[in-house]
Amino acid sequence: MREKATTLYIGPQHPGITGNMMVRVKVEGDTIVKATTEVGYLHRAFEKLQEKRNWLQSFTLMCRFCVPETDPMEELYARAVEAIEGREVPERAKYIRVMVLELARLASFMLWYGGQNGSLGLYTMGQWSVGDRNYILDLFEELTGGRVYHMYIWPGGVRRDLPKGFEKRVLKTMDYLEKRLDDYDDLMFDNAIFKKRTQGVGIVDKDKAIEHGVVGAVLRGCGIKSDIRIDEPYEVYDKLDFIVPTQEGADIWARALVRRQEARQSIRIIRQVIDMMPGGPVYNKIPNPQKWRLPKGDAYVRVESVRGEVGLYAVSDGGLKPRRIHVRGAAYVHAITLLEDVLVGENIADVSAIMNSLGTCPPEIER
Amino acid sequence: MENIKADLISKIKSTFENVTEKDHDGNRLDFYVNKKIIPSILTHFKVNEGFIHLSHISCVDWLEEGEFEIIYILWSPKDKIKVFVRTRVERENPVMPNIDMIWRQANTYEREMREMFGIEFEGLVGEKEFVLEDWEGMPPMRRDFDTEAYADETFWHRPGREDAMDVREAIIERSREEIPDFAKKYSR
Repeated sequence: MREKATTLYIGPQHPGITGNMMVRVKVEGDTIVKATTEVGYLHRAFEKLQEKRNWLQSFTLMCRFCVPETDPMEELYARAVEAIEGREVPERAKYIRVMVLELARLASFMLWYGGQNGSLGLYTMGQWSVGDRNYILDLFEELTGGRVYHMYIWPGGVRRDLPKGFEKRVLKTMDYLEKRLDDYDDLMFDNAIFKKRTQGVGIVDKDKAIEHGVVGAVLRGCGIKSDIRIDEPYEVYDKLDFIVPTQEGADIWARALVRRQEARQSIRIIRQVIDMMPGGPVYNKIPNPQKWRLPKGDAYVRVESVRGEVGLYAVSDGGLKPRRIHVRGAAYVHAITLLEDVLVGENIADVSAIMNSLGTCPPEIER
Repeated sequence: MENIKADLISKIKSTFENVTEKDHDGNRLDFYVNKKIIPSILTHFKVNEGFIHLSHISCVDWLEEGEFEIIYILWSPKDKIKVFVRTRVERENPVMPNIDMIWRQANTYEREMREMFGIEFEGLVGEKEFVLEDWEGMPPMRRDFDTEAYADETFWHRPGREDAMDVREAIIERSREEIPDFAKKYSR
């Protein structure tokens, strides 16, 4: 006998949802037969506001696009402006940028560890990893003055040089975090509940990945080796030695294994960068921001974040203000068409685990 | 890289008519095409030239020229090349061909463009409302949409803060300091 279908509203305020958005699911028993993503709870019209501000003022909005990862957005804006203007970046600033980006990735991995386990009811991990994330935020606070929003990577370089002895403190934190990642493995990957709840759940296979334009760990989790840092190297990533892990499982478990290895690679990159960092200036000064005109032109730049490829399309009409700023978030692709497709046939209880695994970040969708 | 780009340009120009190109530094290549051939040229890029990844679709409002420009950014993992397929559509009753059968995620971009710029896509499926709710006025991302007037009409200032209406004036009054001219010009 066919069960009667019921409609459930998961979100916009729900502990399992990764922010303010709603997934409307039609269920038969416990199984989802149709899912629709609804957004609109976080629209702040950043892109419209940026058209009304000058190039430096609109930079301050960039880091607010996605809270878990603020630095990739700053990097995008800085590189887009530099590409349009042809502004050079000092060598030391490039190394510092890579260090900050990888620290940001690590901080974001820590949040993901907490979110992914929390969505399955395993709360200890979240307490550990969010606690350890604070050590990275302490470093950011020392470097930039802000814990979450840094506004540090800006057009022309970075805002200030590293404080005295900062490298040593970063390395010390890395040594600590490396040990902690082993503890995380015991708690997460040796956990029968985690295995059982994630293996074979939320499958995104190769065909589906290409059809939906999937990026990042989700793409690597189905066996496709793709990483912007290798494919289209920016800053000094072409001089660094690191591997891009892939897995074949295509489920939540496979994507978790990919991220587990990536976190270790970030630590490896930070150590290399600190070792190779040259001296010199860190900032190629921009003109008076109130009179700063960019030449006519456009640029599309991309950065690899924890959630995958984030891009920014910037257009200048030769004026004081941007003509158009358009951010392409990883979640923009993952959380709507892909999520609606993947959820069909899954259990209601797995919705938030799948969302975490796909890297859903609602503010990035609405902008 | 240059050989691959030259090869690609000659292939595209021999397959499609009225295509002009602009070669940029690095791995970027722009093609200017008519909107009618958008689905066929994008399918050609995806199936025959290895541009399997649709990285971005963006829309720019060129109010002075009376046109929208729509830019499809494709990426070839094999050749490591970015291709920009650019087309223009008139601002009055703009209609574009739909491409969400080539890449599914294009559906989201098109729904957003329909809502934010008022561009119709032929045969686009998906709920009319994407981000905005009960929106009836001019699509808000158009250049001639006045955000300040909209804010003044829709919201009201909190009472008791009349002196903060013009922040600069209030500062001058309180501190009796002169504000530089350029700061006055760029505030508000």
